[in-house]
Amino acid sequence: MNPSRHTAALVSLFAALLAVFGLVPKLDLPLGVPITLQTLGVMLAGCLLGPRRGMLAVLLFLGAVALGMPLLSGGRGGLGVFFAPSAGYLLGWPLGALVAGLIMARLPASSPRTAALSALVASILGGLLTVHVCGVIGLVNLTQLSWSQAVTGTLVFVPGDLIKAALCALVVHTVARGLPDWHFGGRAAQ
Amino acid sequence: MHSLYSERRTWLHAVPAGAKLVLLALLCTSLFWLQRWEALLASTAACTLLLASLGRAALGAWRMMRLLAFTSILIMAFHAWLQQPLVGVGSALRLLCTASLGTLLTLSTRHTELLEVFESVLAPLSRFGVRPERLALQFGLMLRFVEHFFVQWSRLDDAYRARSGRAGGWRLLGPLTIKMLVSARRVADALQLRLGR
Repeated sequence: MNPSRHTAALVSLFAALLAVFGLVPKLDLPLGVPITLQTLGVMLAGCLLGPRRGMLAVLLFLGAVALGMPLLSGGRGGLGVFFAPSAGYLLGWPLGALVAGLIMARLPASSPRTAALSALVASILGGLLTVHVCGVIGLVNLTQLSWSQAVTGTLVFVPGDLIKAALCALVVHTVARGLPDWHFGGRAAQ
Repeated sequence: MHSLYSERRTWLHAVPAGAKLVLLALLCTSLFWLQRWEALLASTAACTLLLASLGRAALGAWRMMRLLAFTSILIMAFHAWLQQPLVGVGSALRLLCTASLGTLLTLSTRHTELLEVFESVLAPLSRFGVRPERLALQFGLMLRFVEHFFVQWSRLDDAYRARSGRAGGWRLLGPLTIKMLVSARRVADALQLRLGR
């Protein structure tokens, strides 16, 4: 039950949720690993809204950041953040949501468990791999590191992002149980 | 929510938003062509002077610039460790320049002015079915609901604490997401009734 007339509201409200993910304090996982939630929001955007809406929600959020709203975690915002070393990761977010949505729309989601497994695959390939590839391209161009140095640098964040992909799968599982009529990956809705 | 825009008027506030955006694009592009560290050092000094010329209006920006300066030092140290100190200095200076130029625009331009520029740039696309006025509506909706969802998160956290004595943390992500999706359906229905879209 997410027809196309819901697009504007879903995109806007999901962008608001991404902003809230930046406002809530860092979460400490049972192992004591602190994580910020906004990259988890990118994974969720693709898995829950589908490729087009997910990408639009992330673009709207980044547009608000570019217009000067301090919505990134730590209260960062403004055009300056798009020239920082992490700019490649930021610009990779909409692409990550798009890839996660495309994969989620093609994988089975008939039960909460299969939806969660599909979300795990989609968020690893979209929210993790795609975003890190863009991040590495950004690091190489903005900080003049070599490719191997940039890849080594980005690998430090991969374990944390794997935990986020697992959290994304858990959230999708909860949504599949709480809203059984939800169309994951935007299937049959766009 | 407070934008990074400064209400304290400066000379830069009087420059039209469109002109500032074009200048920013031109300056940032030319910075990526500059390779000599002396030229980049001069550009960084010019950008710092520009920020300083805004006086107290730029106070909010200095905290961000301090963070960026710290990152720049890390980049320089890393390159020095790799035996390429000059490359590190160049990259760090370029980052400081482009980030302070972006911050100058953000400090001196209201988001509504920037939105107007984007709407007028996107206006020709209306022939192809893109509705630029929808952008302003979505932007407004988003800002309205940030506070709403933050309150929802706090309530969920309070309820979890009352039940278990611990913070809810990641356990609240699912319920909050469901609340967001349900709210989106309600808002979509309200929009359709009010605006017919």
